[in-house]
Amino acid sequence: MDARRDIPLVITFLVGVIAVMDYYTTFSAVKETFTVIKNWGVVLNAFALGLGAVNLFRVHGRRISERKRSDWPFSAWLLLMLVIFVLVGLGTGQFDASDQYQWIYNALYLPIGATMYASLCFYMSYGAYKILRARNLDSFLLFVTAIFVVLGNTPLFPALFPPFFHIREWIFKAVVGGAYRGIRIGVGIGAVVLGIRTLIGMETGYLGRR
Amino acid sequence: MAILTEGRLVPLVAFILAWIATYLAIQLGKQGKIRIRRIPGLDAIEEVVGRAVEMGRPVFDIIGMGSFTSIYATQTVAGLSILSYVATLCARLGAKLYAPQADVGVMPVAIELVRDAYRSEGKLEELDVDEQLPYLSGTQFAWAGGIIGMAARMKPAGNIMIGPFWAESMMFAESFNRAGSMQVGGTARMYQIPFFAAVCDYVLIGEEIFAAGAYVSGDPLQIGSIASQDWYKLVALILGIIGALLATANVPVIQNLLSM
Repeated sequence: MDARRDIPLVITFLVGVIAVMDYYTTFSAVKETFTVIKNWGVVLNAFALGLGAVNLFRVHGRRISERKRSDWPFSAWLLLMLVIFVLVGLGTGQFDASDQYQWIYNALYLPIGATMYASLCFYMSYGAYKILRARNLDSFLLFVTAIFVVLGNTPLFPALFPPFFHIREWIFKAVVGGAYRGIRIGVGIGAVVLGIRTLIGMETGYLGRR
Repeated sequence: MAILTEGRLVPLVAFILAWIATYLAIQLGKQGKIRIRRIPGLDAIEEVVGRAVEMGRPVFDIIGMGSFTSIYATQTVAGLSILSYVATLCARLGAKLYAPQADVGVMPVAIELVRDAYRSEGKLEELDVDEQLPYLSGTQFAWAGGIIGMAARMKPAGNIMIGPFWAESMMFAESFNRAGSMQVGGTARMYQIPFFAAVCDYVLIGEEIFAAGAYVSGDPLQIGSIASQDWYKLVALILGIIGALLATANVPVIQNLLSM
C-alpha cells in the first residue's frame, strides 16, 4: 500500500460519494455532513489565502533585496499596496465595508481593472482581423457570417435594412444554437465521466506521479 | 418523506448508467479492446516543450482561475492533470516551466504536482517554486496583467492553457502569440473556445480537456475509462433526435421523461 497515494484516493471517494448523495437524496444526515465538509473547505481556503500572501512576500521581497531586475520598484509598489489594503481594512474595523477601504478600492483598483477589461476590444479586433481573411472556402464562409452578425448587432444597419436583424437571429438560433448545444452536451458528459473517474481513482492527475 | 430530491430521478439513473458504462469501458480497456481517436492538441504538448528546449526559452502552463469548490472544478482538475504532464516533460527535457497561480486553494496542489514531477525525474533541485509557480492575484485582471507582463518579458517558446478561462483568455492568447509562443489552448467554457480557436495553434474543444489526463497517461485502463464518454454522447445524440422528432409531432414523451 502506498499511503501517499491511497489515503487521498480514499478521502476523494468518501467526500465525492457524500457530495453525490447530497445532490440526489434528501437524507438530513448527508446534508449536514456535506455542510460540515463545505465549511472545512472554507477554512482551508482561508489558510491558503495566507499561503498566497506569503508567496507574494517571498517572491517580491527577494526581488527587492536583490535589485537585479529593472522592474523591482513594481515589486515594492505591489507589497506597499498589499500592506495598505490590509491595514486600512483591519484598522477601520469594518474591513472592506469602510469608507476608506471603499475609496482606495474605487479610486485605485477599479479604474485599473476597468482599463484592462476595456483593452479587450483591441485584442478582439486584432484576433478578428487575423481570422476573418478569406483564404479558402471555410474562412470565406466564416467571413460572410461574421459580416452579417457584426452588422446585425449594430443599431444602424438593422434599422436601415431589417433583414440584417433577421439573418443575425437565424444564424444565432439555427446555426450557432445547434453547435452550441452539441458542445454543451459533450461538456456535460465529459464532466460527469471525469467525476466518476475521479471517484473511482482512475483520474489521478491531481495527485501527481504517485 | 421522499428519499430522492424531486426532479432528480432520471439524472440519478443516468449517473448510475454512466458509472456502469465507465466500468465496462475500463474492463474493455484492460483487454486492449478500446481505441480512441487522436487529439492533436494533446499530441502537440511534447512538441511545445521540445521547441522550448531548442530555443532555450521557457514554457508556460496556465490552468485558469478555477477553484475546487465551483462548478468549474472538473476543468481545474483537467488543467492540473496536464500541468503534471507538462512539468514531467519540462523536468525530463530540461525546459523551464512557469505556471502562475490565481487560486490559493488550487495553488498548493499545483505546487505539489510540479514538485512530484521534478522529483520523479530526479531534478528537484532545478525547481524554484516561488519563481516558477508564483501567486499573482485572485482578481481576474490583476492576474491577467501579471501573466501578460511575464509573457512580454520572457518571450516563452510555448504556452499551454487548459482549464476554465473567462475574458482573460483572449488577452493571454494574443499576448503569447505576439511573443512568438506555440500555443495549445483548451477550455470547456463555451464563450472562450472561439478565442482559442482564433489564435492558438492547437485547440481542445469542450469535453476533450476532460479526457486529457487519461489520454496523456498512455495507460490502457485510463484510456478505456474515457471511451464511455463517447458512448454516452452517442446515446444523447440518439435521444436528442428522437426527442426532436417526437416533440415536432407534439408528443413530449422524452421531455416529460427527462424532467422526472
